[in-house]
Amino acid sequence: MKMRDTIQRAGRSLRQAKARTLLTSLAIGVGAFTITLSFAAGAGGRAYTDAIVSANTDVNELSVTKAPEQQQEGPQKYTDISSAGAASANPFFPASFLNNNDITRIVAVKNVESVAPNYSPSVKYITRTGQDKYVAPISTFSPSVKLKYVAGGANSNLSTDEIVLTQEYVKALGFASDQAAIGKTVDIVAERLSSFATSPEMETFTYKVKAVSDKSGLALRAQSTLLLSNEAAKNLYDYVSKDTRDYGNFALASVRVNDPDAAETVKTELARMGYEAQTAKDVLGTLNTFINVLQGILLGFGALAVLTSIFGIINTQYISVLERTQQIGLMKALGMRQRDVGRLFRYEAAWVGFLGGVIGSGMAVIAGVIANPFISEALSLGDINLLIFSPIAAAGVIIGLMIVSVAAGMLPARKAAKLDPIEALRTE
Amino acid sequence: MIEVRNVTKTYGKKHTTFTALDNVNFTVPDGASVAILGKSGSGKSTLMHVMSGLDRPGVGEVIIDGQDILQLKQKEVDIFRSTKMSFIFQSFFVQANESCYDNVSLPLEIAQTPVRQRRGMIEKTLESVELLDKIKSRARDLSGGQKQRLAVARAIVNSPRVLFADEPTGNLDSATGEKIEDLLFGYNKKSGSTLIIVTHDPDLAKKCDIQIRIKDGTIESIIESQQPVIAHRPVARKIQL
Ligand SMILES: Nc1ncnc2c1ncn2[C@@H]1O[C@H](COP(=O)(O)OP(=O)(O)O)[C@@H](O)[C@H]1O
Ligand SMILES: [Mg+2]
Repeated sequence: MKMRDTIQRAGRSLRQAKARTLLTSLAIGVGAFTITLSFAAGAGGRAYTDAIVSANTDVNELSVTKAPEQQQEGPQKYTDISSAGAASANPFFPASFLNNNDITRIVAVKNVESVAPNYSPSVKYITRTGQDKYVAPISTFSPSVKLKYVAGGANSNLSTDEIVLTQEYVKALGFASDQAAIGKTVDIVAERLSSFATSPEMETFTYKVKAVSDKSGLALRAQSTLLLSNEAAKNLYDYVSKDTRDYGNFALASVRVNDPDAAETVKTELARMGYEAQTAKDVLGTLNTFINVLQGILLGFGALAVLTSIFGIINTQYISVLERTQQIGLMKALGMRQRDVGRLFRYEAAWVGFLGGVIGSGMAVIAGVIANPFISEALSLGDINLLIFSPIAAAGVIIGLMIVSVAAGMLPARKAAKLDPIEALRTE
Repeated sequence: MIEVRNVTKTYGKKHTTFTALDNVNFTVPDGASVAILGKSGSGKSTLMHVMSGLDRPGVGEVIIDGQDILQLKQKEVDIFRSTKMSFIFQSFFVQANESCYDNVSLPLEIAQTPVRQRRGMIEKTLESVELLDKIKSRARDLSGGQKQRLAVARAIVNSPRVLFADEPTGNLDSATGEKIEDLLFGYNKKSGSTLIIVTHDPDLAKKCDIQIRIKDGTIESIIESQQPVIAHRPVARKIQL
């Protein structure tokens, strides 16, 4: 019997037992649904973290901290560090700080292009002539971090006298529009911390607005902070922190390497020297591990559903063989080969798997398309979809389930193939 | 030509063996119509199964066109049956849920007849059994006589050289039964193929060229053209037509 004819006969047999076929398929469909969703969520999640990481980090960049000192089990021994290391009492920064000495050591490492301490100067406020004063968190601008601009643009580096505002500040500072802010100046007022509280020393730093950034769904930072060039941030930092206890200590430094492939070797070298470095890949890896675990759990549920449906297929196919004993006997009497009879039943099982796969993954796609906007809204992801369906994944699920179904239909198919036609055609 | 030589078929194991066929010998020339006659349980169906290679007795030979089919591999017997033989059964065994077209198509699919040729063959055959107007009807909607006509169409669509019919009229009234007989003998005469009818109806048997009468698994008599010719002998004998 030709394959085409066998497939057609298999399909016809199933159509003649519609309810049974549909119910068996639905059981597999539940598995297909869950598995398709888990793939979609995994793909979507990874794409999301990928987007986050590439928008916020740079493959050429490592963020370096000082490795925490060896911690012993149980309560920590008290050591009197009243000087620079005092911050180790801070639970959020168990590590000690990096100082200029460290920076010099890191710069000397092979393939390191530059080291920029992370200046985050705490200034008093930002304002503009005739406007109110606002608190101003400041970060350093990095050309590799992709921002969405609603006005202007800063794709290369910022000059020392330039600033990137967010839309919210544009509004607060009374600009008519985002576009209107470009090229105008804003004032940042900083207080020298070492000055006496009774006669505070203040200075006004003036910057030209270079660009206005959107509040992006991808931005980890910089969505509410103002961005200055590294140089400008350093100037502010120097002014604010000079002559304080913590001056010259940084929790974090960005290390630029001259080649993305060198990032890993630099990381190992830094680890040897007692620093902890995180590459863009590390950040992505950490986030993705989390997503992979979630996806794995969903996949597990799907696999469980498929496992259950296997017994459904075996049962249905056995009943089908029993019901069609005479038909099988007749086909064998007419010269149908054992192999072809077995194949006929395996194809029927494959059809059931195909149907289940199509129904299940189809439902998953429909459910996903409906749910995506709600998920994005609930997690405020903007226009990002958390469920990404790929035709390849869907095809994979369908083919996989067909294979599983055929495997499940193996025993009943064998029974059919081995059936003795004389016994099958006995009528009395 | 079909030669049956020294065929013995036993059922059961050591203590409870039952001999369904006991040293059966006869020869059927090509194009003959043969009735296998006998009471219920005498071994008629078993003999038919042996002659068609469906059943494989431990002892004896069944030689068709010089080839002992009991020596063939299962695959070769299957090909033999799909291309050279066909069957009609007492209880029709048409596929109730399938259309007449698909019922008749089955042996063509098994014999791997090219798709293009099938429709013409099926229509022609359905016409010869007067069921062309039912080509799209489901077999379950047919009457008993129509079902058996459909079974005849299915049996002859592939132009078999040997047609086996096991009590083809057993479930039918005499008028519809006669129609089936006419179709069978018509095909036998027109195509020159061999027709082997298992029956316990002496009137039907009389219409055949050869009547083989079986009793308790042994051949009681072989009657050729309504004249008694040969009594049962344990040695093979050729029967000339
Ligand atoms: N599988 C079997 N096991 C045991 N005995 C069987 C089997 N098949 C048939 N028989 C016996 O063989 C004898 C011949 O059967 P069968 O050829 O079907 O008779 P008929 O067709 O002449 O009515 C019967 O007595 C029947 O009971
Ligand atoms: Mg019988």
